[in-house]
Amino acid sequence: MDATVITDIFGSYSPIAPMIVLIIGALLMPALYFGFKKKAPVSAIALIVMVISIAINLIMLTGANYPAEYASFEGLFEYNAFSGLMILLFQTVALITLFVSISSTETTTLHFGAYNALLLIATVGMMFIGEANDLVGIFVGVEAVSISSYVLVTMKRCDSRAAEAGVKYVVIGGLSTALTIYGISMLFGSLETLTLSELGPALAANGYSWPLVIGLICMIAGYGFKIAAVPFHMWAPDVYEGSSTPVSLFLATGSKKMGLVVFFKVFLVMFVVAKSMAGFDIELIQYIFAIMAAFSMTVGNIVAISQNNIKRMLAYSSIAQAGYILIVMAVMSEYALVGGLFHMFTHVFMKGGAFLIVGALICVGIGEKITDYNGLAKRAPLLAFAMMLFLFSLAGVPPLAGFTSKFILFSGAIFDADGSGVMTQWVWLAFVAILNSAISLYYYVRVIKAMYIEKPSKDASGKIKIPNTFAIAIAVCAVLVIVLGVYPGPILDLCADAAAALI
Amino acid sequence: MIPIEYFLTFGTILFVIGVYGVMTKSSTIVVLMCIELMLNAANINFIAFSAYGNFIDAALGQVFVIMTISVAAAEVAVGIAIVLNAYKMRKTVSTDDLDTMRW
Repeated sequence: MDATVITDIFGSYSPIAPMIVLIIGALLMPALYFGFKKKAPVSAIALIVMVISIAINLIMLTGANYPAEYASFEGLFEYNAFSGLMILLFQTVALITLFVSISSTETTTLHFGAYNALLLIATVGMMFIGEANDLVGIFVGVEAVSISSYVLVTMKRCDSRAAEAGVKYVVIGGLSTALTIYGISMLFGSLETLTLSELGPALAANGYSWPLVIGLICMIAGYGFKIAAVPFHMWAPDVYEGSSTPVSLFLATGSKKMGLVVFFKVFLVMFVVAKSMAGFDIELIQYIFAIMAAFSMTVGNIVAISQNNIKRMLAYSSIAQAGYILIVMAVMSEYALVGGLFHMFTHVFMKGGAFLIVGALICVGIGEKITDYNGLAKRAPLLAFAMMLFLFSLAGVPPLAGFTSKFILFSGAIFDADGSGVMTQWVWLAFVAILNSAISLYYYVRVIKAMYIEKPSKDASGKIKIPNTFAIAIAVCAVLVIVLGVYPGPILDLCADAAAALI
Repeated sequence: MIPIEYFLTFGTILFVIGVYGVMTKSSTIVVLMCIELMLNAANINFIAFSAYGNFIDAALGQVFVIMTISVAAAEVAVGIAIVLNAYKMRKTVSTDDLDTMRW
């Protein structure tokens, strides 16, 4: 479709058109719930707003003739292939979350309007990070997401674990904000700029200095909390366990990707540009990220083995997944970035699908323990099969989506991007990652064993009927996990364009 | 004129006091106050740098400070509400007692 449809309506505001729609929707939500006093119409309107926003973004991303003079909004926000793709990712996550929130028994009824509004605002914050052109935009976007997700975590019906998770999340989140802002202030003082594209040249010109190193450490730590990379991961399992499952889904697939986008937009671009400018030495930083990645995968996977609560297990597994994607930060090549972006996409569907199944089963009264899943294959064969697909995909079993994206991601760490077949120095990292995939298969198979081999307990028998919205969302995720695995072409092209636009 | 190091040292001391408080205090309210200290340390840095540096856009640091102040206000408002909610549920705001979920 022709992109001038959008620019005719929004004019110079078209780069932020998808956000404008969502902000209007978010402001309407509480009033609508106050008027209707019913969940269904409010949820329907939220979904319509989100679909409009996705349509606008898709037209801008894939449509022809998007005018170049509208690419940037006042120099603050810039729409390009990268930001478009990331916006699409965040919108997908938000769409799934909004869709299942209505029938989940865990989400709040009393404040359903506010819940939807906060979900939309958090999505807007993520989308602004995708487009932000300077550190001010990134900082404010991250805070918009964080502050709304503190409330989302606490908004759970009748569960004191949510209150505890909320307190932990606020304290850790506040600490990470303070670290980040202190780091940014040091970076600002030593490089004298906040524009992302100017950070690299300024770094190459000034070289390392003490304030700059302190600033970088603080920023990496602060944003490391957001992606829950080891050693900044302690909050993630508690928060994912305590919050309602749709919110856990939103945090694990959306909020984590937001942190990774910040890493790509700030650090990756900064160091790649600095290296290309003056042969600037970035090997030390690459090793820092490589060690973070290796520890995230290993700790995440090993601690996940001993978990009995499935939400905690999935939380640790998503710490490990963040470790896999951090390989991009260590390798710092365009090819690895393509793999990383693709893995971010497939992770939405496989981790999202697993959380959806957990949420659906909680709705019908099945607990969060892995032993509660005993004999699930007899009671709900399709659901058990879908769960098996998602878990195998997370472990990286071909031909599912997780295998394809991991293959591209890890091969970026093994071979140089220029196609000469020369191995990079990061082969050991790929080796650690593959070893970790094997470890992860152990605890995923434990769930599958419980579902297919163990006998169900006496009082738990009979067929399970999950809510329709969950069934539809799970089916879509399952189909996408298979389709992206065997036919990754279209989305991979978008990822390649995005990576080329970023670096 | 006062050298910039004075301001930066002041900011660092505030930041370290904040970190110390977050690490050691068990009352969640005090921890939130210490986080405010850390944010203010960053604000002092921004103002000092933008006053002493030679920037093309001199207001940049000050704009960031205004953003930080508003973000900090929002964060504390939400934080206090969440702590109150925890108190209502559990009758405690001590981080030592909020430990039902571990490992």
